Amino acid sequence: MIGPDLRVEGFDVTSWRHLVGLFMPNLEERMDRDAHESDDPAPPDPTEGQGGTLVVIDDPDRVILAARHSFDGAIPALIGESSSQDLRGLCASHGAMRVVVIRAGAMDELSDALAEGLAQEPESHRHGYIAQWLVLLRAVRQMMEVGDLRVWPNPVANVPLPSARMAQRALDAVLPDGKALLAALFDRGRPYTSLVIRRRNGLIDLVAGPDLLTQWTGPLGGDWRRDHRVFTRAVERNVAPVHLGLFAEVSAVREALRSGEPGEWARQVAVRDVIFNPMPMSVKLALGADAVRGISHVSSGLLGGVDLWKAAGPIVSRVRSRWTEIQSVSDELGFDPLVVLAALMRRDEPDLESDEH
Amino acid sequence: MTEPTVALEGASLRPTGAGEVPLRSGAMHYWRLSPDSWRDGLRALKAMGVPMVETYAPWQVHEPEPGQWDFGQTDPRKDLGRFLDMAAEEGLQAFVRPGPHINAELTYFGLPAHIVHDPAMQARSPSGRPVILYFPPRMFPVPSHASEAYLKAVGGWFEKVAEVLRPRLHPEGNVVLLQVDNEIGYYFRNGPFCQDYHEDALVQWIAHLEATHGSLEETSAAHGTEYVTWADALPPKRFGEGVHGEEPKPGELTLQLDWARFQEQMLTTVIDRMAGQMRDAGLGAVPFIHNVSLGEQGLQANVPALGEVVDLVGLDYYHPAREHRTIKRRTLYLDGTTGRAYAPELGVGAPPWFTPLGHDDSLYTALCALAYGLRGFNLYMAVDRDRWYGAAIDSRGRARPEADDWMRLNEALEDLAFHRLERKADVALMIPREYARYARQTHLLGPLSPSSLEALGGTPVDGCRGDSLGFDRPIQLRWWQDLARLAQALTAAGVPYRYVDSEAPLDRLTAHRLIVAPSYTFAATERWARLREATDAGVTVVTGPSAPTLDTTFREATFEPVGERLSLDDEVQVQAAIHAWVERFSLRRPYPTRPPIETSLHEDESGDRVLFVLNPTQESHRAEIALPRPTVATDRLSGEVFEGTDSLTIPMRPQRTRLLSLEAAQ
Repeated sequence: MIGPDLRVEGFDVTSWRHLVGLFMPNLEERMDRDAHESDDPAPPDPTEGQGGTLVVIDDPDRVILAARHSFDGAIPALIGESSSQDLRGLCASHGAMRVVVIRAGAMDELSDALAEGLAQEPESHRHGYIAQWLVLLRAVRQMMEVGDLRVWPNPVANVPLPSARMAQRALDAVLPDGKALLAALFDRGRPYTSLVIRRRNGLIDLVAGPDLLTQWTGPLGGDWRRDHRVFTRAVERNVAPVHLGLFAEVSAVREALRSGEPGEWARQVAVRDVIFNPMPMSVKLALGADAVRGISHVSSGLLGGVDLWKAAGPIVSRVRSRWTEIQSVSDELGFDPLVVLAALMRRDEPDLESDEH
Repeated sequence: MTEPTVALEGASLRPTGAGEVPLRSGAMHYWRLSPDSWRDGLRALKAMGVPMVETYAPWQVHEPEPGQWDFGQTDPRKDLGRFLDMAAEEGLQAFVRPGPHINAELTYFGLPAHIVHDPAMQARSPSGRPVILYFPPRMFPVPSHASEAYLKAVGGWFEKVAEVLRPRLHPEGNVVLLQVDNEIGYYFRNGPFCQDYHEDALVQWIAHLEATHGSLEETSAAHGTEYVTWADALPPKRFGEGVHGEEPKPGELTLQLDWARFQEQMLTTVIDRMAGQMRDAGLGAVPFIHNVSLGEQGLQANVPALGEVVDLVGLDYYHPAREHRTIKRRTLYLDGTTGRAYAPELGVGAPPWFTPLGHDDSLYTALCALAYGLRGFNLYMAVDRDRWYGAAIDSRGRARPEADDWMRLNEALEDLAFHRLERKADVALMIPREYARYARQTHLLGPLSPSSLEALGGTPVDGCRGDSLGFDRPIQLRWWQDLARLAQALTAAGVPYRYVDSEAPLDRLTAHRLIVAPSYTFAATERWARLREATDAGVTVVTGPSAPTLDTTFREATFEPVGERLSLDDEVQVQAAIHAWVERFSLRRPYPTRPPIETSLHEDESGDRVLFVLNPTQESHRAEIALPRPTVATDRLSGEVFEGTDSLTIPMRPQRTRLLSLEAAQ
C-alpha cells in the first residue's frame, strides 16, 4: 500500500516531532532520557523500576546461550540453564514484564523465509511495503508455532494476521484510491503541524507537511476555524479530492486520543475544537455513536443512574446494520447528536447554522 | 595516471592554484528540487558558512531504464552539470558522491531496478537465497559486493557519470572531492552469516584462505578437518555447528575468524576496485573518500584497511544528545585511528522512518564530536528534500531558524581556523581487531547484527554468547567491557585519550606516549609485533589482564612479553594505575573540572585556542574549571564572555556543549 515512489516532504524538525509525538505520547520524555551508555560496563540505574524485557537466546536443546534484561544488562547466571522452564516464572524471577526466547540461528532462517515468501508471492510487489511486511509477519508466526520464537505474554496469540487483500480493503475504507487525507493541527490558533496523504493507483505516494501546505494555500486569515475551507480547496487543487479533512486544536486531539471518556470526540467537534471537512460517512457514524455514548454517560449522571445508552441501543444497532445505505447519522437518529451534545455542554440553543456536519 | 590537482592536507583540501578549502560542506540533492530553486538553495547554503556543496549522483535517477540515460536532456531536474556549474557561479566548491550505492532514502538505495532484480548481481544467504533489506518504502534484494556482473555494470555507470564530472574537476571546474560508494557494510544486512555466499564471493573466499594459510593441507590443519579440494573449504554458515557444550571442536574458531576477516577484506576489495574504476573513468585527479555508517565497531568495515585504498575514511553521525558517550567514543576512535576525523554525514534532521531527532540533538552531536577531535563535516541535509525532515534550509532555498546556529558554528570554526587545531592526548586505548572479529562471530541474533545493536544505542557485544567457550572468561564480551572501564576511569581523572584500531598505521600508535592494549588467552601475533614496534619507538605499552598463549589459529605461540601488565578487569587496579601514570608520565590534564562536566582543549603552536565544556547530563550544573593562567573565554555561539584568574565558573544547561575561544586576560 506504500508506493515505491512515495514522497515524504515539507516537514521541518519541529513539525515532524509534533506529528510523531501525537502518536508517541512519551516521545519527548523518551528522547530526553539517558540511553544505556554504550561504553559503560556497569548496569544502568535500576531506579527505573521493575519491568523491561528479558531476551533469552537458546540452542536447539533449550540450553541458554545468552540472556539480557533491557534494564539490567547481561544475566550471566542464566547461561547454561534450561529455557524449557515456565516463561511466566522466568519473567517474574528477573523482574521483567515480558520474556522473548529466540533459538540461535532462527533470525537467519527468518530472513531466508522472507526471501522465499517474497519470491512465491510476486503480487506482494503490487501491494507494496505493507504486503511485504505481512509476508515477514507470517514467517514470524510460523517461527512461533514451531517454538523457535517464544514470547510471554504473547500479545498476538489469537490475533489472525490479515491478508494483503484485507489490509487493502481496510485502506479503501479510510482512504479511497485517488483521494487525499488532510489534517491540520493548531496550538491556540497557531500552526502546530499538518499532514496530507494521497493515494494514487492504489498506493500511498505522497506524505506532505506544513511547508508544502503553506505553499499551496498562500497567505491565510489566521483563524483556522474559517481558514479550513481554504486548506481543503488548496489540497483539492494541488493534490487530489479530499476524502477526509481534520482541523483541530492539538490539545483537543490529544485529549480525544488519550481519553477513554465516551463522547470525547463528539464533544470536541461540538465545541468546534475539532472540525471535519469533508466528513466521510464512516466518520459520521463513528461520531454519532460516540455522541450517543456521551449523552448516555452524561444523562445517566443527571437522571440518577438511568442509562440512556441502553435505551439508544436499538437505534445504534439499526445504524450499524444499515450503515451503507443511510445518508447521515442525523437522518437516521432523528436528531443531530453533535448539536444536541453541544447544547448540553454549553446549555444554550443549538447552533443550527453549523456546516461542519 | 592522472596527476592530482587537489591535495588533502590535514583537515582541508588544497586545490592547485587556489586557497585552502576546509572540509566543511552542506548537502543538497539537485534531482529532488526544482531547478528554479537551485540558486536560492546554493546561496542560502553558502550564507550558512560552508565553502562546499555536497551532492550524491544517483544511478537510478540517471538510468531509469537500461541504457536510457538522462543527465538533464529530458528532465531538467537531472542536469547534474548545470547544478555544479551553478554552484561554481555562486563560489562554492563541490563534493560529489556517485555511489553506486547511495541510500539517500531512495527506493533500492539509488540503484536501478534492473540492477537489484538481476539474480546474477544479488548477494546470497547461506542457503543461496537473495538477501532482503527491510528498509521502506520497498524491501529489495541487495547486490553482492563480489559479483563480477555487478561490478561490470558499476563500471558502466562510472563511465557515464564521469562524462559530466570529468570536465568539472578542479581546475577546470569546482569538483574537488569524490566519494566511492557509500556506507560499505553489506547494506545493513551484516550479521555474521547473512552474506555473501555468491559464487563470485566463494572464489574470493578460497583465495583468502590460500593467502592466509598457504596450501590446502595447511588450511585443512588450521580448520581441523581434511579438505580434498578447495571446493570443500566452504565458509561457515553459523557459529554453533562446531561447538559442543563449552568446547568448540578443533579448528572451529579458526574457521570463524577466517570468515570474519574475509568479510572485512571483501568490503575493502570492492571499495578498492570501485576506486580503480573511478580513476579509469578519469576522475582520479581529486581525493577520494569513503564514509562508514553508525555501528562501526560491530561492522565488518575495516577502517584502517579502507584508509589504504581511499584518501580519507570518515564516520557518519546521527545521534540523539543522550548518546554522548557513543558520539565521544566514535570520534576518539576516528581521530586515534586516522589522525583526521571527518564526518561525511553529520545529521541535520533525519529520515522520517528513524527515531526522531531534534535540532538540539543535531547541534549537540556536532559540538560533542568537534570537542573530541572532529575536524570537518558535511551537514546532511543542509537543504530540504523528499524523505527527510529538519534540514536547515527549506526546499525553496529559504533558511529556517535552525540555520542561524549552523551559521554561527561555521563562522566560529572558520574564524578560529579550527581545522588546523589539535586535541592532544598522550594515552591510547587499543581496539584489538581479533577480539572484535571473535565477538561478531559469536553474535546470536543474525540480521539484528552487532552493528545494528550498536547503532540502536546498545553495544556490539550485546547479542553475543555469554559462555566462555573453553577460555578462562567470555573474551567476546570482556574486551569491550574492559576498554569501557578504562575509558571511564580516564574520563573521571580528566586525562585526554583516544582509541586506536590495532590495524591502524604504526604512526598512529607512536603518536601516543602510552598505549593500553587488552590481551586474553589468544591474540593476533601481528598485533603483538606492532606493539613491540611501538615499544621500540619509545611508547609505553600496557597489556592485560592475561598474557596470550595462543595465536588466532588457536595454536600455541610464543608471545614475548611486551611492556607492562595490568589487570584491566579490576576497577581498583585500573584507577590506581591511572593515578600512577599521571605522576609517572606527567600526563596533561588541561582545564580540569569535576565530573560529570567534561572539558576538551584544542590548541596550536600559539597555545590554547578552544575549550569545549560539555554537560552530558539532564541536569543543570555550574562548571568549575581550573585555569593555568588568567583567561577570557568567549562562547562563540551565545556570545557570553567568562573571565577568571584561577578558575572559571560557567553555567551549563542540560545536554549542552559550549565552544569557548580562549584568550589571555590583560
